[in-house]
Amino acid sequence: MPVWQQVYEEINDPNFVILCVAEDTGGEAAAGPIFDEANPTYIQIIDEDHIISGAFNFVNVPSAAWIDEEGRIVRIDEGTYSKIHEIGEGEQAITFGNDVYVPALKDWVEKGADSEFVQSAATVTDNIREQSVDQQKADAAFRLANLFRAHGQKEKAEHYWDLAQELNPDSINFLRQNLTLSEEGSAGETFMKVIGDYGSFGKDYYRPLDL
Amino acid sequence: MSEAFMAYPELRHPFEATQIHPEGSTTVLYQGKVISLAETGSGDGLLIDPEDLSRVNGFELKPEGACYKEMCIPMNDDLLIEQDGRQWFSLGAFADLLGQSYVVDTEAAVWSFAEIPFKRESMMVNAMAPDFEIKDRQGKVIRMTDLKGKKALIVTWSSW
Repeated sequence: MPVWQQVYEEINDPNFVILCVAEDTGGEAAAGPIFDEANPTYIQIIDEDHIISGAFNFVNVPSAAWIDEEGRIVRIDEGTYSKIHEIGEGEQAITFGNDVYVPALKDWVEKGADSEFVQSAATVTDNIREQSVDQQKADAAFRLANLFRAHGQKEKAEHYWDLAQELNPDSINFLRQNLTLSEEGSAGETFMKVIGDYGSFGKDYYRPLDL
Repeated sequence: MSEAFMAYPELRHPFEATQIHPEGSTTVLYQGKVISLAETGSGDGLLIDPEDLSRVNGFELKPEGACYKEMCIPMNDDLLIEQDGRQWFSLGAFADLLGQSYVVDTEAAVWSFAEIPFKRESMMVNAMAPDFEIKDRQGKVIRMTDLKGKKALIVTWSSW
């Protein structure tokens, strides 16, 4: 991701690292060229099994955690955009993202615990999503599906991908990952319907940015 | 961002059918690892050789029980099972005891385990980052503990 490489270079602090994690079951073929385009010097991971999202209870991309020198999470689970993006042209144009996240990140790298953007352990634990037994089971089902895919066992792969989505219907990651590997793609009719449902039920597509 | 950019139908099932493991083996998936077990006991609950426990989930069998860091789970007759003079460790019963979720494909003999809840307790209670282990694009193993002493931004994205 070129935007994160730029941020990494601007921060340029030997005691700061970025782990940029592509949640991509399509592996190198899907995410590799996008990484390469950025000429990245940060740590690049292609996470076919969505292990990192599972570890931090993320359900959407981009999501992030800030972790301090002691291993404590000081911010977590916000729609992590590094700039304002614009898709389409004219009246059809959609903008998303923000220009406040990166300045906050830079402030934290510079000031550490004194940064006003550091959150208390109580706030962070409140912001970590609950993960139900079914949602944990969904992670196991998703990884099982990926194993069957890797061994060319299509029907079983489909079965366990479907099971993962049934068990964790709140995971945009599972929904869109599955759609990505279809003709319709991750931003087709099914996805637009889901986004519409989020709007009509007043649900947040990302945890709102608290900055 | 074009439609085609967000659709990879050709990557849905790009692989030739291959066997998951040798005949008679069982496969365990846990924390992104694929662990093949040549020998298992017969019966419910995935009976593994106690020697295999540490490579499956990092627990060590000690006199006080199955231990991970300071936590030891005492053994009982549901966990350690005798079969024809041989001792087995029931991974299924252990997962049930710890509230660990799993999904099993009995036909293919594959057990996929979710994370053990108590390993994530320090995140849910004290906001401490969870342990993970994952390979980067160069094949280097990255662990949460390797990042100690540095500030880290862990950010997910996707090609989709």
